[in-house]
Amino acid sequence: MKKIFLILFISFFTTKSFSLVKIDITRGNLEPLPTAVSNFYIDNPEKLSAKIKKLNLEKNLPNVIKGNLNRSGLFYVLDNKSYIQKPKLSHLKPRFEDWRLIKAQIMVSGKLKIDDKGRLRVEFRLWDVVSGKEIEELALFATPSSWRRIAHIISDKIYQRLTGEEGYFDTRIIYVGESGPKTQRVKKLAIMDQDGANNKFLTLGNELVLTPRFSPNGRMVTYMSYFKNLPRVYLLNIETGIQEVVGDFPGMTFAPRFSPDGKKVIMSFARDGNSDIYTMDIKSRRVEQITSNPAIDTSPSFSPDGRFIVFNSDRSGLQQIYVMRSDGRGVKRISRGKGLYGTPVWSPRGDLIAFTKIHKGKFYIGVMRTNGTGERLLTQNFYQEAPSWSPNGRVLIFYRETAGGKKGQGASANLWAIDITGYNEVKIKTPTDASDPSWSGLLSK
Amino acid sequence: MVRSLSLSILFHLSIFAVTFFTLPFVMKEPIDVPPIISVDLIQISEKTALPFAPKAREILEKIKKEEKQRVVTKQAPPKIVKKEKQDAVPMPDQIKKKKPKETDKQNPVEVKDEIRQSSEFEKKELFDPNKIAALIDKSKEETAKIQQKKSLEITQDQDSTVSLDKGLTITQEDAIKAQIFKCWNIPLGLPYNEDLTVRIRLKLKKDGSILSSEILDHVRMNRPGQGFYKVLAESALRAVRLCDPLKMPATGHNKWKDLQLNFDAKEMLKG
Amino acid sequence: MSLTNMRNFVIVVVLGFLVSACATGGKRSANDWYEGTDTVKFLASGVPDRIFFATNKSSLHTAAKGTLNKQAAYIKKSGLSVVVEGHADERGTREYNLALGERRANAVRDYLMSQGVSGSKVTVISYGKERPVNPESSRLAWSQNRRSVTVKAK
Repeated sequence: MKKIFLILFISFFTTKSFSLVKIDITRGNLEPLPTAVSNFYIDNPEKLSAKIKKLNLEKNLPNVIKGNLNRSGLFYVLDNKSYIQKPKLSHLKPRFEDWRLIKAQIMVSGKLKIDDKGRLRVEFRLWDVVSGKEIEELALFATPSSWRRIAHIISDKIYQRLTGEEGYFDTRIIYVGESGPKTQRVKKLAIMDQDGANNKFLTLGNELVLTPRFSPNGRMVTYMSYFKNLPRVYLLNIETGIQEVVGDFPGMTFAPRFSPDGKKVIMSFARDGNSDIYTMDIKSRRVEQITSNPAIDTSPSFSPDGRFIVFNSDRSGLQQIYVMRSDGRGVKRISRGKGLYGTPVWSPRGDLIAFTKIHKGKFYIGVMRTNGTGERLLTQNFYQEAPSWSPNGRVLIFYRETAGGKKGQGASANLWAIDITGYNEVKIKTPTDASDPSWSGLLSK
Repeated sequence: MVRSLSLSILFHLSIFAVTFFTLPFVMKEPIDVPPIISVDLIQISEKTALPFAPKAREILEKIKKEEKQRVVTKQAPPKIVKKEKQDAVPMPDQIKKKKPKETDKQNPVEVKDEIRQSSEFEKKELFDPNKIAALIDKSKEETAKIQQKKSLEITQDQDSTVSLDKGLTITQEDAIKAQIFKCWNIPLGLPYNEDLTVRIRLKLKKDGSILSSEILDHVRMNRPGQGFYKVLAESALRAVRLCDPLKMPATGHNKWKDLQLNFDAKEMLKG
Repeated sequence: MSLTNMRNFVIVVVLGFLVSACATGGKRSANDWYEGTDTVKFLASGVPDRIFFATNKSSLHTAAKGTLNKQAAYIKKSGLSVVVEGHADERGTREYNLALGERRANAVRDYLMSQGVSGSKVTVISYGKERPVNPESSRLAWSQNRRSVTVKAK
């Protein structure tokens, strides 16, 4: 008996603690998530008018979603041809083994319907194929002609549910469409959906237009125009098309942006060889001078909370990036490396500042923290500049120009986008050459 | 004639030399060779491949011999019960005992299924802490020896594995990590400066397939404002399920049947 | 060694050095501003309409001042009003180049006024890099584009 107790006692003292093995998993892969996007099925095809039938929404709506997810670089959408289950069953009773077979980890299914009021109702479901369960379900209503927006909103929901971040698909891009010889370039204001659809020109091209930027609610644009050969900053209402000059400045105004609350325009005003930063309240027309320095101060950009302004100045002798409070005080230089820095723009997340850098004849797009540390160059090119942030602060859109030959042949300008991690550098398709892109905020906000 | 010819050749050669050294395209720039990254293929081995210092090896052998002897004297005749279910802890004596048939590869800390004894006792429910306390006074001698054994056990453990309470060798752990790394699709939108560690508890069968998996903090998943945590947790669960069945060592199921994987994407997100 | 051999040797060596010098791609002119006449037009007979600048600079070198002296004389004499255009090359950011062009145009205006031209006769406009005169992407083209052009006001 004693021996039994002894053995027990021994085991009590000398045995190991509960044998749970803990392992830290600190690495994974950054591969895009394999996703299947099934065609949607139409709930009441008899109710569809011929016009709507022509839209082929059951295919085209999910195709817009596919394009968005693929272009983000975070998803890899598998080809339809490999799908086993039909759209209706995928939505009502998905057989996960079928989807696992083609190595999908996520599946998107959907249902379309025209309700009694003639509205388009789109219901989508997001499925975790690996774990075999539904993880999101939503229904959206809109007029049938806005079906693209529904696709973008669905894409945003999927993006957010699986990455943790807000999406950026329900947005538009304003830019300058270019054509003609380099020496006499024709420039027009253009606007399009972020995926290139619905491209529209807003001006005729009779005068030079430059650097357009969206207002926070996406309804107004501020830009610079050489209308009547007077280079000035203008405001344009996208819906009404009405343009008006900003203020009554006795000299060139340029490089305009909106304040985060949309109430002011901030810009540069050049006089007697000196460019300073000014703001103007849109409603009251009150003008305020922010910088007062004989150097060139330009490219101002507000922080998202409106408390600070980042801008470009050559007061040190060369183009550098500075941050100051919104009243103009506390000017501090933040760019540190060798070379010239320009076009600073504050991220909507408030954490980073994107910029253009020129060094040894090469142009770079980069980001740095708001105190100037952590400078990272994302891409290098013969010529590129003017990054603009997606509303979730993850993607930068900018433009590139290629070198021109003797008569300027081969020279072209195009829009490009890149993720702030440096991945997924893609060219954005535009109907003409393009430059000066600016990203709107989420339209649904 | 010969003189002018040789002079001409000499001057021509000097011209070549001049142009050779001044024309830049002739002088090739050294090619930037990217640094060679060596890739190690980790083999799952049952013993951590740490090289022992020669003296340490001697000491080890000595300890093992002593252990062997002690095991023989102290142990009650073991009833060889082959039980699948492992719960409380195996006897240290049995652990230390080395089967003569076994080769060097055998991890001295490994549990042998055949020599389980604790299960018998648990059935009888004789384990009474109070009684044990009473035993302490009576068997001081034994405690002294047990402590000694324990300290020896500690040193031995330290030699062959890195930490006391890990049931796996480094290479085994690395092998598991490597598998999960491949299966884990990290959601790139997560903030890297928040505390977002997802702990998943796995119970594995002998063949490495998953018996059960649970998120230790699953209440947090559904709290408002914890969207990021939920996204990370779901990605970790998918990783675990995609990796099912895990490639585990052929023996020592007791050592790794209970795993806790701590998923932390901070390093990768810092970019 | 005969004289002809000597001469030939020297010629070959000199040519060799010339060849190597050109191969390093050195600038034709020692200065960063354009010193040629290819793109230059005339306000009036003997009055060049433009001057050129070094990269990122708006300072006036001697040759530029010489041209501007002629321009000043002509403007005063003719009583014409002029517009001074400031331009920049394509190797800079767009907004900064607008400001740089303005600075250059004003440097010219200031100088003309220092030579007695009335300020009311001279207005300035900057085109930044929007209106290059040479569309090629080369150092020569860029130097030709870094300019300030004086035109008769309409």
